[in-house]
Amino acid sequence: MQFTKIKLLPIILTSFLFAQEKKDIGKLFGSIESNSAYYLDDNRLGNFEFQNRLRSNNYLTLNYNYKKFTAGLQVESYEKNALLNLNPKYNGTNIGRFFLDYKTKNFDITIGHFYQQFGSGLSLRTWEDRQLGINNAIRGIRVVANPLESLTLKALYGQQRSGFTVSDGKIFGIDSELDLAKIFDFQTTALSVGYSLVGRDEKINIANPTFDQTTTINSIRFNFSENAFYLNGEYNLKSKDAIVRSLAISNDFVKAGNTTLINFGYSKKHFGIDATLRRIENFSFLSERIPQAVDLTSTSLNFNDMIMNFVPGLTKQHHNNLSNIYVFQAQNRVDFIDGNIMKAGETGGQIDFFYNFKKGTNLGGKYGTKVSVNLASWYNLPGRFNFFPADYETDFLGRGTKYFSDYNVEIRKKFSEKFHANLNYVNQYYNKKWIEGGDLVHTNIGSFEGTYSLSDKQSIRFEAEHLWTQQDLKNWAGATVEYNFSKKYSAYFWDIYNYGNPDPKKQIHYFNFGGAFRQKSTRIALNYGRQRGGLVCVGGVCRFVPESAGFTLSMNTAF
Amino acid sequence: MKLLSSLLIFCSCSLFAQSSIPNISLKNLENQSINIATAFSEKDKIYVFSFWATWCAPCINELEAISENYDSWQKELNFEVIAVSTDDARTQKRVKPLLNGKDWSYKILLDTNQDFKRALGIVNIPYTIVVKNQKIVHIQNGYVQGEEKELFNVLKKL
Repeated sequence: MQFTKIKLLPIILTSFLFAQEKKDIGKLFGSIESNSAYYLDDNRLGNFEFQNRLRSNNYLTLNYNYKKFTAGLQVESYEKNALLNLNPKYNGTNIGRFFLDYKTKNFDITIGHFYQQFGSGLSLRTWEDRQLGINNAIRGIRVVANPLESLTLKALYGQQRSGFTVSDGKIFGIDSELDLAKIFDFQTTALSVGYSLVGRDEKINIANPTFDQTTTINSIRFNFSENAFYLNGEYNLKSKDAIVRSLAISNDFVKAGNTTLINFGYSKKHFGIDATLRRIENFSFLSERIPQAVDLTSTSLNFNDMIMNFVPGLTKQHHNNLSNIYVFQAQNRVDFIDGNIMKAGETGGQIDFFYNFKKGTNLGGKYGTKVSVNLASWYNLPGRFNFFPADYETDFLGRGTKYFSDYNVEIRKKFSEKFHANLNYVNQYYNKKWIEGGDLVHTNIGSFEGTYSLSDKQSIRFEAEHLWTQQDLKNWAGATVEYNFSKKYSAYFWDIYNYGNPDPKKQIHYFNFGGAFRQKSTRIALNYGRQRGGLVCVGGVCRFVPESAGFTLSMNTAF
Repeated sequence: MKLLSSLLIFCSCSLFAQSSIPNISLKNLENQSINIATAFSEKDKIYVFSFWATWCAPCINELEAISENYDSWQKELNFEVIAVSTDDARTQKRVKPLLNGKDWSYKILLDTNQDFKRALGIVNIPYTIVVKNQKIVHIQNGYVQGEEKELFNVLKKL
């Protein structure tokens, strides 16, 4: 799309504003998000070494609804260039997404781009995450129907979005979910079952392949709950497909894949316990079999491009800065690095425990005390591995080399009407050698956070944190102060300091300060500071960002 | 010029707010499908949809603060809080035990693939919309300590 057309948008929008006053002419809604950065040279981080210091990611979403029809358009503008280390396919200004949807009570058809998840997303998930630069919507056709009150059917066909174009593989899928509790009229029991099939059809560029050009994932799932107890599970089976090594495939390394997911828990007033076990074997699923090379060191996979499924690292998503330095990414791919490091997937689990010590008890005090504990451990699959010729054979039960563990406890306590605090302790084991190359890292992280109300409208939040480790970059300290002047304005300063770094030149303060304004659906925030290089992760999916310094401005609104 | 245009678009959009709730179905914790447009339609009742996630500290603070006053406020006013969890498959299983562990009595909707959040153009959470007679009558974007009282005062005037 040319920029001149975009200039007309305010006029179009304004005319819709007046149009809205009349009845039955439909309604317009949408949102705008703009994230810009001006990168600066920095006396500690060094000079800015990329093109264009001023970069911005902008998204305009417009939807128009008239009775049962909804049409939508998303214009994306990455000018000049996208923010650092976003997928380079996001470049310039263009239409990122469009759709037309017709929806009745029991029927829904979409033509154009759509987002969809089947079950837990292990077989199919298309979604948008602007921070990570993920938008893997499928462009095609989707139908959702409820022929019975207890039955939902979905069918889809199309190609997956990659940058402003689509990838080569043709995607198809069906999903069904049957609510048995409704059929048998259970009162206190929930019981449903589901089945789905997802396929990718893509030409194979090697001679006489021993595997099909269509790769499928068959999936079954169930969900059960009775009073305070619940149990659900999912099993996925991927058909035989070539395993990609050094951006190439051959008939010599062809394997099927599978995942097993079990979740159960018991939860009633004051108390909840939840456990998840998951085993994943050879479960990378892309809309193009072989990732594209982007530059000498990275492929499209590094930018989460053309991913068809969602395999999150099942660990607690921490909200303080230092607990997010060593973040586990699920090891779903077969990845043979050398004769010692051969990965075929992962196995492990996570347990969560929540408890509320009631008001008026010894541990509860006047306002109650809330405690949560989370324990997660992940391992390579156990089995027999051979580097050359590449092959493996895994066992279903047991565990291989440990990848990661995170044991943490959080205590939250309100001390008075004006003051409440959080205490956090995290113990992590991060096998960096196996996950991304480097040391094996063992950390202990402690943090204390308090919020104090100065008046009805003003409050101050402060946080102190420390990370202890003998390995990798060694010790870190961090602090945050946030001051809320009023409902509309707030300002903050935070700093994390790698004071333990063995190289004195790298003992750097990654400080940031800024402020935000918000009103109704609008938020505007300005920040100045240094970005720590490393993984930025959302929902267990990560993107690598280089170190940088400068200003950022974010604006968003919905209408 | 580009900046000016962007600002113009930005301003013209801020002029009007979306008035009706989208026609979307989400699952509740019992895995039942709930249609947002029809399930929350009692005449004159106020519905507060609070978008949150298990990993979002200010969201938890807000829901915690409302929870402490929820019983007494509900006696005063015919309103209900629906906590819309935007947790994806990574953290969604933590919703139910967390809810009980914190003694919250909110109705929960699971916006696992963020369809509801996307339809409202929400970028940051916490984000709260107030719905009365199927119209969005108030939006609160973000939360700072004490803001729950202000929200309740707004609700009383609706």
